[in-house]
Formats: sequence, C-alpha cells, structure tokens
Amino acid sequence: MSTKLDSKIPSGSIETLWQKHKFDMKLVAPNNKRKHTVIVVGTGLAGAAGAASMAELGYHVKSFCIQDSPRRAHSIAAQGGINAAKNYQNDGDSVYRLFYDTVKGGDFRAREANVYRLAELSVNIIDQAVAQGVPFAREYGGYLDNRSFGGAQVKRTFYARGQTGQQLLLGAYSALMRQVGKKTVELFNRREMLDVVVHDGKARGIIVRNLLTGELETHIADAVCLATGGYGNVFYLSTNAMASNVTAAWRAYRKGAFFANPCYTQIHPTCIPVSGDYQSKLTLMSESLRNDGRVWVPKNKGDKRPPSEIPEEDRDYYLERRYPSFGNLVPRDVASRAAKKACDDGFGVGATGLSVYLDFKNAIERDGEEAISARYGNLFHMYEKIAGESPYKSPMRIYPAVHYTMGGLWVDYHLMTTVPGLFALGEANFSDHGANRLGASALMQGLADGYFVIPSTIGNYLANHSFDKMTEDHDAFRDSKEQCYKRTTQLLKMKGSKTVDDFHRRLGHIMWDNVGMARNKEGLTSAITDIKSLREEFWSDARVVGEADQVNNELEKAGRVADFLELGELMARDALERNESCGGHFREEYQTEEGEALRDDTKFSHAAAWEFKGDSAPPERHKEELKFDHVKLAQRSYK
Amino acid sequence: MSDQNMKIKLRVWRQKGPTYPGKLETYELDNVNEHMSFLEMIDVLNEKLVQEGGEPVAFDHDCREGICGMCSMTIDGNPHGPNKGTTACQLHMRNYKDGDTITVEPFRATAFPVIKDIMVDRSAFDRIQQVGGFISVSTGNAPDAHAVPVSKEKADLAFDAATCIGCGACVAACKNASAMLFVAAKVSQYELLPQGQPEKEDRVLNMVAKMDEEGFGSCSNTGACSASCPKEISLENIARMNRAYSRASFKKR
Amino acid sequence: MSRLVTYLFSSVGQKKLMALSGLGWGLFALSHMAGNLLVFVGSETYNKYGHAIVSNPAIYVAEAGLVLLLLTHVFYGIRVSIQASKARSQGYVVKKSGDKEATLSSRTMKYTGIAVLGFIILHLWSFKYGAYYEVSYDGVVVRDLFRLMLEKFESPIYTWGYVAAVILIGFHLSHGVYSALQSLGINHPRYTPIIEKISVLYGILIAVGFASQPIYVHFVF
Repeated sequence: MSTKLDSKIPSGSIETLWQKHKFDMKLVAPNNKRKHTVIVVGTGLAGAAGAASMAELGYHVKSFCIQDSPRRAHSIAAQGGINAAKNYQNDGDSVYRLFYDTVKGGDFRAREANVYRLAELSVNIIDQAVAQGVPFAREYGGYLDNRSFGGAQVKRTFYARGQTGQQLLLGAYSALMRQVGKKTVELFNRREMLDVVVHDGKARGIIVRNLLTGELETHIADAVCLATGGYGNVFYLSTNAMASNVTAAWRAYRKGAFFANPCYTQIHPTCIPVSGDYQSKLTLMSESLRNDGRVWVPKNKGDKRPPSEIPEEDRDYYLERRYPSFGNLVPRDVASRAAKKACDDGFGVGATGLSVYLDFKNAIERDGEEAISARYGNLFHMYEKIAGESPYKSPMRIYPAVHYTMGGLWVDYHLMTTVPGLFALGEANFSDHGANRLGASALMQGLADGYFVIPSTIGNYLANHSFDKMTEDHDAFRDSKEQCYKRTTQLLKMKGSKTVDDFHRRLGHIMWDNVGMARNKEGLTSAITDIKSLREEFWSDARVVGEADQVNNELEKAGRVADFLELGELMARDALERNESCGGHFREEYQTEEGEALRDDTKFSHAAAWEFKGDSAPPERHKEELKFDHVKLAQRSYK
Repeated sequence: MSDQNMKIKLRVWRQKGPTYPGKLETYELDNVNEHMSFLEMIDVLNEKLVQEGGEPVAFDHDCREGICGMCSMTIDGNPHGPNKGTTACQLHMRNYKDGDTITVEPFRATAFPVIKDIMVDRSAFDRIQQVGGFISVSTGNAPDAHAVPVSKEKADLAFDAATCIGCGACVAACKNASAMLFVAAKVSQYELLPQGQPEKEDRVLNMVAKMDEEGFGSCSNTGACSASCPKEISLENIARMNRAYSRASFKKR
Repeated sequence: MSRLVTYLFSSVGQKKLMALSGLGWGLFALSHMAGNLLVFVGSETYNKYGHAIVSNPAIYVAEAGLVLLLLTHVFYGIRVSIQASKARSQGYVVKKSGDKEATLSSRTMKYTGIAVLGFIILHLWSFKYGAYYEVSYDGVVVRDLFRLMLEKFESPIYTWGYVAAVILIGFHLSHGVYSALQSLGINHPRYTPIIEKISVLYGILIAVGFASQPIYVHFVF
C-alpha cells in the first residue's frame, strides 16, 4: 500500500538536496504567474508568509482568515523564540547540528530530508525577519542575542523578549499587508473554510462561510494551501486560541488528504495549572523560563507548607536529579511526563495537587531581580495576572498542558498532500517534528514552509499541470456547497438539550484521560467507543441556537466540535496502533525500567497516514517508512 | 486558593446588527468564581442563555492570553476594564466583589462600527497598515541579519512600539476616538530601525492620511490611549510620529 | 502647495498649528501678566507702560498676529471637536474612571477654551474698548487705564469673575503647555515628567499672577 505514499524526496546528498532540487523543479514564467490563483487558508506564520511570498512572485493570491484580522492568528502567542543555525555564538552550532538535534528531539520519527531543509532555511528566516524590522533582542554591541532552549546544548534561539511569535507574525503580517495594498493578495477576513473542492483529481477551490453574513462563498483557484494550524483544541483545554480548530484539515482529510500521526501531541511542561470547571483555556509560560527556573516538588508526600517554608533539604529538584546533563532543559515531552509522574506519585502541590514549582529564587539571587525581569518580565506579569501571585516572591506553579500537535495532513517533500494541488504548511502538516517538537522550532517551521518552501514548490506543481476553466456553478462546487449547507442546517435543526461547549468539555475529558500524556491499550479502546457514542449523542442532542444567516458563534463552535469528535477517534486509533512510545506519544506498556519512552524501531520507524474511507468504514492506515542515513537511531538520552 | 463565589449583575450592550438600535440588557449571575477571567464569566452567561433559549452575547476573543488583540470590550467605561496593562481576557473576577454591577459596552468609534452586540469591525487598522506599515523587502532580498548592527537601545524602543496588539483600546479610550497611538507605534517601530529608513517619509505620510480618511478623530494629548493600552505603549511614540510627519511633509521632494 | 494644504488639514499638522498658536498666546499671557504686575509699583508706571505699548507702531503687527493666532487656535479647536463628535457618533453609557481616566485639565480643554475665549472678548470690551480716561504725566497725555481698572475691580462680582476666569486660563495652560510641546514632538522619558510639572507650574503662575491684580486692587484701594 505504501506505493500510495510517495514522499518525492529527491536523490542526492542531503547537504545539497534542496538547492539542487530547486534547480530541478519546473518554473512558471513571470508573465504566466498572475494567471494562476492560489488560495491560502490561514494567516499565521506559515499562511501569511506563504501568501505574501507567493504574491511577491506574481501569483494572484486569495488569503483567508477566521479572525477579524490576519494579525490575530495564534502564532502570535508563541513566546520563547525561534531556532536558527547561525552560530553567532561561536558555540559549535551548524546546520547539521540543528538538523541532528531536531531529528533526535523528534525521537527519530521525522523525515531526514525535510528536517535538513528546515535547518538549512533557518538562517534565511532570521535574515528575512530582521530585514522586515522584527525587533529581536540585541546585545549592547548591536548584534543579535541568543538564548538556549530545551533539547539543545548550544545557544541558537533568537527571541524578542517573551513575544517572539508576535513579532515574527507581525513581520509576516506586514509583508502580507504590503501585498494586499498592492492588490496582489485579496484578503478575506472572518471566513471559515468548510470544504475543499476537488475536481479532476485536483484541489480547485474552497467553500467558506462568511462569519458575518453566514453566506457560503465559493472560491476557485489552481492550488489550495492550508495553513490552518494544529488541532490541540480537541482536548478542550489547551494553550491554543479559542478559534483554533481542525475543521479545514479535517475537511481535507475527508476529501482524500491523508492525515498523518494524529496521536503525536505535544504536552507543554510549563503551563499555568487548571483552576476550575469554568476554565476555557490554558496559558503557557514559555519554556525559556526553564533557563533560569528550577523545577521542584517537596520530598515528602503531601507537604502542605508554603514553598518559602520548605527548606532546601526537603525539596526534590527532580529534573536535575534524573537528568544531570540537561537538567531543567530536557525536551518538553520528558519534562511533562516527569511532572505528571511527580504528581501521580503524590508529590504535586497546590489545592488540586496537580502542579509543580518552577522557582526563580536562585536566579534572582544570582543575577538580581532586574536581570530576571528583563528576561521574563512580561511572563511574570502574565502569571501574576492569572494566578494572583508574584513569581518574584514565590515560585510559579506549573503543570503540563496540550500545546502543539506534531501530527497533521501528510505531505510530501513539496508540502503537497495526497490530493494534488492541496498543500499543507506549518503546524497543519505533519512533516518536520517527528514525534516531538523541540522548543523554538514551530516558528522556524512555519516560516520556512511559508517564506521559502511553498513559493518554490507551488511553481513546480502549477507548471506541471493544466487546469480546466472552472466557474462557481460547476458541479463540483455546487455539490460541495450543498453539502456544507446541509450540514449547517442539520446543526441548527437539532435543538437538543446540551450546549456545544458541554460536548466539547466531555470530549476533552475523554481525550485528556485516555489520549493524553500517558496512554494504554485499555484506555484507548474505551476512548474510541466513548467518542463514538458522544458523537452520536452530539448529533441528536446538541443545542445550537441562532440563525444561519448572521453572526452565530454557537454554530461556528458546533461545526468545529463536530469535526473534533471525529478527529478524537482517529487520534485514539492511531495511538492504539502505534505499539511503542516515542516523543509525544507515550504508551505505558512500552517504557524502560526508568520510565523513559521505549521506541520500537523495527516495527514503527514509519509515519502512519490515515485515509478516510467513508463514515461507515474504518479509516485505512498507510505507512511511510522513514530512513535514517545520517542520524543514528539511538535511545534518546538527556541524562 | 479559596474559591469565592460572587453574585454579579451584568449590563451588556445588545445589538442585533450594524443597522439595528442597541440597548443595555441586564443579566444576573450567581456563581462567579474569583479565579475566572472576565471572558470566562461571559462564557458562563452564554451557556446559561443558550440553555434558557436566549441568544448568547456575540463578542470577539481568541487567544485569551492577552496577545492576539481580538477581545474588545469596554467595561464600566474603561476599555479592557479597570486594570492597567491588561486585556479583557486577562482581567480576573478577583478584581470585583460580591454584588457588583458591571456594564459592558463595545469599543465605541465610528471607524469601528458595531457588528453585533459587543463585536466591532476594526478592519480600518488593517487598511492603515496596508498603506505603509511594512518594510518593502520581498522574501529572499534580505542581507545577513548581522550586516547592520542596531543599538540595543533603539532595538528595545522599537520592540516596545512593536508590542502593539492592534486591539483598538487606544481609539476606544480617546475622547476624540483618535487612532494616533496605534499609528504612531507602527511608524515608530520602523522609524527607529535602520531597515525602516528608506521608506520612512512615504510611510508616515501615507499612514496618517489613511488614518484621517478612515474617520478617526484628532489627538489632543490627553494620554487616555496610553493609559488604556494593554501594552502600555508610550506617548513618546506619538511625539516621534509628530516629528516624522512634519519632517516628511516639508522634506520629501 | 497642495502638500502644505494637506499638512495644515491633516490630524498631525493641525495639532502643530494648535500647539504653535496656543504657545503664542501662552507667552503673550505671561508678558501681559508681567505688565499687570506693575500695579504693585504704582499708577504712573502702570499707565506709562500701557502707553509705551500702544504708542509703538509694532502694536498693529502684534495685534494682528495675536488675532491670527487666536483665530487659528479657535478654528482648529472647533475642528477637533467636530471631528471628535463625528469619530464617535454613539457615545458610552458609562464614563471612564480610575487609572485609565485622563487628567481633568486635558479632558476639559474644550470647555476651558470656550470660557477663555468668552473672557478674552469680554476683557477687550471692558478694557481695550472700555471707558477712555486720560491722565497727563510731564505734559504727555496718556490713557488712564489705572483708573478704569480701579472702577472695574470695585465690583466684587467683576473681581471674582475675573479671578475665576484667570484660574480657568491657568487650568487651560496647565495641560496646554505640555500638550503643545508633545504635539511639536518634544517627548523624552527624562524630560517629559519635568515638562509636565513645568506646565502645571506655568498654569499656576499665570493664574496667580493675573489674579493678584484684582485681589490687590479690590481689597487695597
């Protein structure tokens, strides 16, 4: 079956692969570019960068975002930084080392060629961003400053205080706005994509709902790029924005795009703990905090003393104890599981017992409050606002939360899904992070895809294909629109007894308990059944109020939750089939004696890509075997 | 972590659509937890309204961590509520006490027409950005990031200006509904950086012209904008834009 | 030319003009006040000073300049208000309060401005175009403004009205000076806090300086 999955990795030496391939790919002549319309859904780092860059090349681009402005995309919330192999610190970094760290950090479940390209492009991203006026942190000499991040032993992370994502996104947004001003990009805000339209085996457009008027609009193009982010909100509580959803990707999946590795979920170790049922989302505290903060729990179970009264000898700095060489800077999956273990073993702190301390006392004593404030001022401020306690005075309380999803639409080296002409960029695809993403790599990947990869590969696709003239009343569009209309009507018709949020919360509980940080066969099996029955209940008993032809937040949420209810099941299936532990996927049955993830490279050194087979049949699992010619497969060790 | 539950009376602006008249409706909530964020309280209200067959309050929100700039509501007359440097999503109910009455209105400005309830249309900001809020560097044009050093002081000031989240609280707070702080923040960011120099004259002229065309009011230096700004962007940026605008007006050929 | 017109009618250009015209009147207020303080020296010095000013041919240029500045200031003041009401066609039900509220003087510039304008007109009418008494010093006949002033400030209503008006002027200036400098682009984290204080002190100085005359005259003469 693997013939279906052609990753189209060019042959040759990995160091020159991308450069050579750029030459080998076909080009579209400058005067022909404007004849091609490309749709880009989403305006985060990948979407905005891609839309702007393709428009700069001369394509006619239609850009869609769900919010009122492209600047709101959730990339904006990324705090810590962006990796790049600039080696400005002279500490031994190189493209190869970033490549190596990323493959290793991903627990050997990513495609080497993609990761190498990502590492190679990382340096261009920094150049581009600086030229755009992104105000990265600088040293007194005027040169760029770097910090270190989890999973790396070099300082290669560029940052803009704790708002790196914001600054990079606003850079990409400014590039996009420049093109909108030049009328090379048509911007459609407050639109939600409801379907991909496929004709003649190729993606030829999308159906969107205008969130202000409710109108279903048809947009035709020669290629469609989805840069619609991740699906962490399937857990209800996550660090994702409220509107982050899987709908665009899921609709693509239902139209034939394979969905790869849905079970790879990143649980971020440093988030503000849950405080009550009303909670709508979780807030991340940047991983960069672990540069100076020390994670600990009391040595004695149920020690209820306030942290300031617990003496050093009664504290267990468990990350430093268990991983002496990386200490508090172990990768996210390792840090998260360690926190969960500490709490499961009864050492957790706070009213719920579901949190651990992240303490800055030593750092403040060492560097002074001012220096710490310069590094993390906004994060401390944010923590204090939410938790009501000052991290300058008492340690932060943190707990892991769903943060990022490594899985996504399967794409080849060109970022094209299994549907020709349908591309997926950024978090929406599955490609570069394997089973676990290293900190400060999401921004890198989104921008690499958007600024540098898609502008090259889209030309190759367009130059190699011919396109029928399409109009809005073509059957493919009419059918698709009809489907969307029916679904909307169905949602509004039910008039059940439970709110959409109620279903979403229940789904979130099932997911967190069974498909969360630690999974096992029994839990996953029951999750599949539970999600199925919850889905059935949803389609008979959900209560969606309001009308279809106006602003209707409830209807929007309902459509998204309906898709999450399908995705959740697929995630559980994927987790169940993957009988190993790797990165963000931890199966309790597969662990070392010390409780570390135990991979099975003979059976599972592949990406699993799921094919939709209709609502009544189970999806089919395909494999893309992963070859490791450069990075030696090894048990990850951060000890 | 004691959980205090409060009774809160909410008066919320309800307006069916842009062309409909609106009015304040009163709702009572019994179990408002002090750890809730303001928006979570509205979520609770909305779930209650849906259960009771009413229409939930439409409001803009997204990241809920104070950075996307989507939430936009005037709470007891103050954009984003009473606390400085705080967006509505980061405002927690522990700032209120049992029995309080809270009035929630949309951001008011003619350039931000109401869409529904407390949702407003802020696309005027995007349009201002389109005429100059960028550096014209197409992908691939960039020299090495270290080609031009930037003094730390300038870089930090540019960053401070660049932290603007484009929420529009400055406009909502200003008695003249002026967008001067928003525009000045963007102009300043590029004005301060060497990369922004080549286009600085066109940038400020075009952005100010667009701002005026969009129907924002004038600036009378009351400083309400900066006081309400969730990122506490300084009025220094407006002064910088004032200088830049005059210079560009008379110097540009 | 069109660039200049654009500038003059742009939101930034207009505040520069507002600032310059305001600063002009602010400085005029200071010199006027200094002249008034001659009341403490005596009637002769007071009247001679007045004469020296009106007999200088430059007075016509100065007066024309002041009128022009005033008209500019008033014109732009009205324009700002009209723009403001257009820019917020529907107001808030609840007003701002607490930390996010601006200073009272900055919020009330429109009202203090209108009051000051009214006062200027009334003031010109009572003094410049008021009763014309003459007095002769060393054979030179000059206008006896001192007498006119004594008459006016005999009335407690006029006296306290005048005091109230100059307090409003001071209040207007206490935001005005800072605001004008900000509009002209003068803002620096090190100096602006000082400028803000100077602005308030300037307002107080003007108010106290002007108020001293009627109070002195009312109670002493």
